Amino acid sequence: MPDPTQPMVGIVVVSHSAQIAQGVVELARQMAGPDVRLIAAGGGADGSLGTDAARIAQAIGEADAGAGVVVLADLGSAVLATKLALEIVEPEVAARARLSGGPLVEGAVVAAVQASAGDTLADVLEAAEQAAHMPKDVS
Amino acid sequence: MRIAEVDVHNPSGLHARPAATFVRAAAGFRSQISIRNVTRGSGPANAKSLLAVLGCGVERSHRIAISADGEDEAAAIEALQALAEGGFGEAAAS
Repeated sequence: MPDPTQPMVGIVVVSHSAQIAQGVVELARQMAGPDVRLIAAGGGADGSLGTDAARIAQAIGEADAGAGVVVLADLGSAVLATKLALEIVEPEVAARARLSGGPLVEGAVVAAVQASAGDTLADVLEAAEQAAHMPKDVS
Repeated sequence: MRIAEVDVHNPSGLHARPAATFVRAAAGFRSQISIRNVTRGSGPANAKSLLAVLGCGVERSHRIAISADGEDEAAAIEALQALAEGGFGEAAAS
């Protein structure tokens, strides 16, 4: 394990579906182990399909241990709601929170593993984006 | 620099979970650590990057070479070799 005295980058998974967000967190958790902060922020305020900026903002706050947060979002308004959430959270936390352009599942898994390996915010963010090209040996 | 070669026995090779386990273990050392797929001739790849490790395409019965360069290289090679020989924490290694 990396230096246990250093905070790890946290991960937030935003999806229109609470179940998708929860499932992605479960999968990433199994790959990355118990130490990294992984928070699901899925579904609308009333539990329907949708997104909720307030809930995303809360998740970003929970995920931040001081090393920053990478947010993975699924589609359209999930991205918009995340941008809105970044305006709601503490400026100090927002300054080290990043919205990833990476794919939701692969990006969250790769980001969580690299966060658990003690990577910096910039390195975790880059890995999440590169996850779009994750080798799957389909050829 | 220290190098160890190990045969991989995991049913699905060094994919997903075992690869993540390997990356997290490698990240615990200060040395620069790389992995090479000897069988396929791919790599060397950064052993502390999940995507890089997956990119080596290590399948069951492939032989890998792990190399470490740095102050804790001996401990790193010892730990990573043991991890590989133990099936990367997967129960089904045989």
